[in-house]
Amino acid sequence: MKRILALILTLALVASLGLVSAFAEDELVDGRFAETRHITVEVFRRGDNDPTTTPFADYIREGMLEQHNVEVEFVIVGRWSEVDDLNNLLAAGNAPDVSYTYSYPTILNYADMGGMTDLAPYLEQYKDLLPNMYALLGEDNVNWDKDPETGTLWAIETKLQNNARINTFIRKDWLDKLGLAMPTTKAEFEACLVAFRDNAELLLGADADRMVPYTTSQDIGWRNNNLIVSFVPNDLSDEEYYIHGYDDRQQTLPGAKEGVRLLNRWYNEGLVWKDFALYGSGDTTEDDNLKAGFVGAFQHNYDYPYRNGDDSIDANLKRNVGPEAAFVAVDCFENDAGLYRKFLGSTVDRKVCFPSTNTEILASLLYLDFISSPETILFLQTGKEGVNHDRAENGAYIMKTLDPTDPYYFNSLNNIDYTMTCNGLYLGEYTDVSFGYSYTGVDPALAETAYAVAMNDGRVPGHFILPAIEAEVTVGSTLSTERDTFLNQAVTASIEDFDAVYDEGLANYMSIGGEAIMNERAEKLEAATGYVHQDD
Amino acid sequence: MRSAKAAGNTAVNTKKPGGFSFGTYMRRYGTLYLLLVLPIAFFLLFRYTPMAYILMAFKKNNIIKPPWQVDWAKNNGFEWFVKAFNDKLFIRALGNTIKLNLLDLVCGFPAPIIMALLLNELAFRKFKRVTQTILYLPHFLSWIIISGLALRLLADNDGLVNILYKRMSGDPNAVIPFLSKTNWWTGTYIALGIWKEAGWGTIIYLAALTGISPELYEAAAVDGAGRFRRIWHVTLPGLRPTIIVLLIMRLGSILGSEFDRPLALSNKLVTNASTVISIYVYQKGIQGGQYALTTAVGLFQSVVGVIFLFGANFLAKRFGERGIM
Repeated sequence: MKRILALILTLALVASLGLVSAFAEDELVDGRFAETRHITVEVFRRGDNDPTTTPFADYIREGMLEQHNVEVEFVIVGRWSEVDDLNNLLAAGNAPDVSYTYSYPTILNYADMGGMTDLAPYLEQYKDLLPNMYALLGEDNVNWDKDPETGTLWAIETKLQNNARINTFIRKDWLDKLGLAMPTTKAEFEACLVAFRDNAELLLGADADRMVPYTTSQDIGWRNNNLIVSFVPNDLSDEEYYIHGYDDRQQTLPGAKEGVRLLNRWYNEGLVWKDFALYGSGDTTEDDNLKAGFVGAFQHNYDYPYRNGDDSIDANLKRNVGPEAAFVAVDCFENDAGLYRKFLGSTVDRKVCFPSTNTEILASLLYLDFISSPETILFLQTGKEGVNHDRAENGAYIMKTLDPTDPYYFNSLNNIDYTMTCNGLYLGEYTDVSFGYSYTGVDPALAETAYAVAMNDGRVPGHFILPAIEAEVTVGSTLSTERDTFLNQAVTASIEDFDAVYDEGLANYMSIGGEAIMNERAEKLEAATGYVHQDD
Repeated sequence: MRSAKAAGNTAVNTKKPGGFSFGTYMRRYGTLYLLLVLPIAFFLLFRYTPMAYILMAFKKNNIIKPPWQVDWAKNNGFEWFVKAFNDKLFIRALGNTIKLNLLDLVCGFPAPIIMALLLNELAFRKFKRVTQTILYLPHFLSWIIISGLALRLLADNDGLVNILYKRMSGDPNAVIPFLSKTNWWTGTYIALGIWKEAGWGTIIYLAALTGISPELYEAAAVDGAGRFRRIWHVTLPGLRPTIIVLLIMRLGSILGSEFDRPLALSNKLVTNASTVISIYVYQKGIQGGQYALTTAVGLFQSVVGVIFLFGANFLAKRFGERGIM
């Protein structure tokens, strides 16, 4: 009898232990798993440096192991081929547990096939365990892509701390040399370009025939954005902006055509780099021209000339031309209301998703929480004291120039490839004072001016909570390729042919998917808000 | 060991006298079959097994599940074919593919033959060898490198050729739009293709030339045939079987398209002429995740290719050639 009792008790003990361990699978003790978990996490690679072997990757791996008992394995995805790479990984079923991309249609496509995890129920269940993530992103960003009808959530929108987009830059030293003031209107800007063109001998000497008064790349919509949106009516409503908003180059907005027409005239008057259309994205020929000092003005990302430390356009320009040479941000593209309107980003940046192959949802969510904590971001954005930065008296982080072979070298500005949930400085009270110093080797005043100019009269797109736009899923890169094609053809056309080339190109763009997307956006917007699309 | 031998013996014994038994046959040729195992495994694994996935062309777009678990597409499974042929971009890609391939065939196919004939006529062996090697070299460059060279040499404004042309003509606006106007671009595309591959293509013809008996040349010379007569009546007929086989193979890939060549050489001004099927498939499939649609396009390409292959083979046989099948 005793034996039987002992046996039963032992069995009960074993069974209860088993039960406990079964239920305790996702139980955390002080935020740590009882057994070590393993997750894979995507990281962008730019250039030659391996992002998985840096001290920053080590910091993340050690931090996750220590705080949550989770092993992190990084999976490299090329920054400039991220959609292709991620598509391949997803199709093969071995995408990282925590993936991020700029392309929401890619996520939606796999969600439609059953290849994505619906995050909504997990976020509800684990919300209390994710204080840092919620503090950084806010409910708005977390639930940004939640389908209002089905309640599904395929991606978490990460935070764009800094939503400045495009600036116009001009060679201040050339203006000084020619006795010109900083332009304040389109007409004055054009006069500067003409002066650059006509004074090539004076400005470039023996290299006079290399003179490029204004440069652009084949990405017309981005690289001339201030110019183009200055022709968009100021009273454009948020609703209309949303309906036309699939194209993030604003090319389908009313008035945009006139912006391209101006560019076409400049091109035909010899003010624009003649060969811009021949070079693909990623080609360095244009940057080389900028660095060599052959270029008078251009539009690009708001901080473009100051990026990349010792290899920045600013640093190269000073080496090649002289200490006085500099590109300075300038506001001179006024719209119909006299404002220097810029179309800024919203508060969202990359989209984080968990493929359905992810079996460690909680560990993956804890990763997002860890990577969103102010402490983690502080280290990733400022690095090691004495190596990456020094502190100013007011507490500002002054970033130092590092050799690209140094393990502590930042592969991306502010290490954004590691700070998955955060794009832009996030240093609490020290953010503003440190901003100018985050561009190593650059006069902080230049960077601060650039930021102020880029934000001046900025406009943030409205956000409407709508079901997914299915027409956006199937177009791939065809729409943007065709858009760039017709814009390139329009800019390089003769002045007489401009209208024909532009209109035909836009009609083609609309017929291969542009219009279907707009119609679906208009329909879903009307269903949700009652807004009726104004045909233009 | 012994039992195997015994089995072999019984096998021999049961066969009728004089005939080959399986055992003897395998003993004699077994090693040859063993050599075949690897290539056959390769074809089974990498060529025939994937054919099951052709099914994707008739199913709903899904790459997560195997195609036999996915529902049929609309229009009795032909949704993607209908969609492709209603897509302006696909029709354009199809037209560009045919146009570029035909031009390549007309201009590019005779190039190595002519080059081989010329090489064959060279008298100095050393000079011939050096020339041959130089002609082979471009084959080993990738299209990425060649596109870089083409840009540096042929760009409208900064290209070396146009800089020289401008200086020599004295007109700063004189530009040859090698890469920026679609017709010129097509010419550049074809010419670069010939430059890259013609030399390499001569190898097979030069090999065929060594098979022509020198006695034929001597006899022709005795009959008073000059150089061109000898080329026309001896060399070319000797090359004919090789030419026919290569032509048939070439026609089989009339709808096939290279990827790196048009991708690397293209730019945003000539997209209308340079977007071939492979690029369309890349944009829609790899970048857009439309795997069912692009599988349908690939299947269409293959079917047309097979039709052309058999058609060309049939015609070759009608004209008294051996063909390839």
